[in-house]
Amino acid sequence: MFEHLLNGFAVALLPTNLMIALVGCLVGTLIGVLPGLGPTATLAMLIPLVFSMPPATAMILLTSVYYGSMYGGSTTSILVNIPGESASVITTIDGHKMAMQGRAGPALAIAAIGSFIAGTFSVLMLTFVGAPIATYSLHFGPAEFFSLMAFGLCTVASLTGTNVAKSIITTCLGLMIATVGIDLVSGAARFTFGNPFLQDGVDFVVVAIGMFALTEVIVTAREVRDGVRAEIVKAEKVWIQWKEFLYSLPSIIRGTVFGFLVGMLPGAGATLSTFIAYNLEKRICRHPERLGTGDIRGVANPESANNSASGASLVPLLTLGLPGGGATAVMLGALMMLDITPGPLMFEKHGAMIWALIASMYVGNTLLLLLNWPLVNVFARVMSVPAKYLMPIVLVISTIGVWSLSYSEVDLVLTGAAGLLGYYMRRHKYPIEPLILGLILGGRMEQAYRQALIISQGSNMVFLEHPISLALLVAALLFLLLPTILKKSQDFMAARATSVDAA
Amino acid sequence: MNTLKRLATRTRAEGLIVLLVAAGYLWEAHNVPEFYQIPGVPGPTTFPRLLGVVFALAGLWLLVSPQELIASMKGVAAPRAADPAERGLGVSRIAANWHFCAMWAVILGYLWVMPDLGFPLATFLLLGLFVFLLGETRWHVVLGLALAATVIIYVSFKMGLNVRLPLGVLEPWFK
Repeated sequence: MFEHLLNGFAVALLPTNLMIALVGCLVGTLIGVLPGLGPTATLAMLIPLVFSMPPATAMILLTSVYYGSMYGGSTTSILVNIPGESASVITTIDGHKMAMQGRAGPALAIAAIGSFIAGTFSVLMLTFVGAPIATYSLHFGPAEFFSLMAFGLCTVASLTGTNVAKSIITTCLGLMIATVGIDLVSGAARFTFGNPFLQDGVDFVVVAIGMFALTEVIVTAREVRDGVRAEIVKAEKVWIQWKEFLYSLPSIIRGTVFGFLVGMLPGAGATLSTFIAYNLEKRICRHPERLGTGDIRGVANPESANNSASGASLVPLLTLGLPGGGATAVMLGALMMLDITPGPLMFEKHGAMIWALIASMYVGNTLLLLLNWPLVNVFARVMSVPAKYLMPIVLVISTIGVWSLSYSEVDLVLTGAAGLLGYYMRRHKYPIEPLILGLILGGRMEQAYRQALIISQGSNMVFLEHPISLALLVAALLFLLLPTILKKSQDFMAARATSVDAA
Repeated sequence: MNTLKRLATRTRAEGLIVLLVAAGYLWEAHNVPEFYQIPGVPGPTTFPRLLGVVFALAGLWLLVSPQELIASMKGVAAPRAADPAERGLGVSRIAANWHFCAMWAVILGYLWVMPDLGFPLATFLLLGLFVFLLGETRWHVVLGLALAATVIIYVSFKMGLNVRLPLGVLEPWFK
């Protein structure tokens, strides 16, 4: 394995890839700092760009943007009291209080250190856990894969949004959009209404840009008009005393471990992991009454948790082809467009690429630490770029992203329609992530379903007769019931509600 | 009449729409020609039928909204939308939110006409209108920003990334 990893480093340290990782980290941090523009929308906008790149380089760009944004989100939480990402909501509680007390420096420093430790830990775990999980899943047949995807979709549906029925509706809508176009097995044109442009199906980039980027432009534009502005606290010196570091180290370790465990679960993602980790921290740590009053552990813990979780979400993505949320779903879509299907055979077939990716994540974590330490005040100042100039430009670049896919006017119209629908969904608490996930998984899910039925000669019992498949379906059902069981837990409900806007 | 009004929540209306979409979807699946189906083998409509049924069931759940139904039977009023912009009649709502409606109109119009009008002109118009709608009233800033951003984006995507961007009505000028 170490030989593979060394080869990976050889690829990751190529000047081009190093440069791409640096650019990705920078872009990611900026995206994280800017409220409104989230990682999912940015990744969707980048997809047309990565077409022409070698797969390893493309993945390095996408992942570095992804975890860069997790890193940047904390900066605005601390300095401006506006979480750049939904995963940094918890950080505002103690982080901004620290900044108001004149301790912005230590807060930013511990966020950077915590993120670095957690990021490195999660990559380390990915290195050791990834290949064994992939090997285990080689035993999976079509029935198991169908149930696995159903499980993934159910966890996402259960953990995002405020109403399970609404989440099921959006999941199904995504799967239904995936069935539009020519059926690859029989050649039948389905749901095309005679329109030749729909025969190739609906591209997920079109829907993702419409639902995430377009709606974000409108939502932010509304806030600009309503005059929501905040004051930026300046950090004098980003530094931390050894005593403070030792004080918060246990919280970092706990956040990292909980974050990783929760993050592996599809749908839980970075946001929920911060809520759970912070809540546990309040019960476990010494002097819990200090948390919430500007305690440094209240920054260290959730920041470690969200970085650890975003690394962990790559485990099911790379080994099982199961994305855990919007951002990883877009990455899966990008991989499939590059003709790489993540799953059990990924480590065998595309081993070189995966190890390069893993190595580049070690490099990326170091780059992020080096970038953020001296530049944190510069990043914070980016926030003061008026959104009224930025949002229209985001709109134009999104449009170019859709247009460059296949130079089709129908795609542009579909983007507009997806934007309108997405806006309505956001306003009325229909989560968008399950829809994108359904749209991306739809094709493979249908394939697995049909193969399983062919093997069983048309009997649906096949999904219940295989033990792994049965266990996954039971777990999926339990997840759908989870919100009803946990209704009384305010933290859990708050985490779900936050993730509706997790774009 | 009063009972009917109380039962007609937005959630129920959405449930009804979901049911109608599910019906249309299942109808379309039913209309896939017979000769694509081989008896005994799952065909192109097997999976869509499953989806349509699950979709319809979830829609039915919203339509019935059991929790709200029980609450209204007990005489507890269900919580309604508190946003003041949500209330009021159609016309007055649009008037109050005209900026917002105009933004949508500009975006959708841009997506609709960009291929024909050409990227540079459409983008210039979009940027100008949008920045204006967002509250920038100094016309030299609006025009300057729109022009500069259009040129920079056009040149960098066309030359730098080789994206084919249509010139549209400006085509004869740049030949």
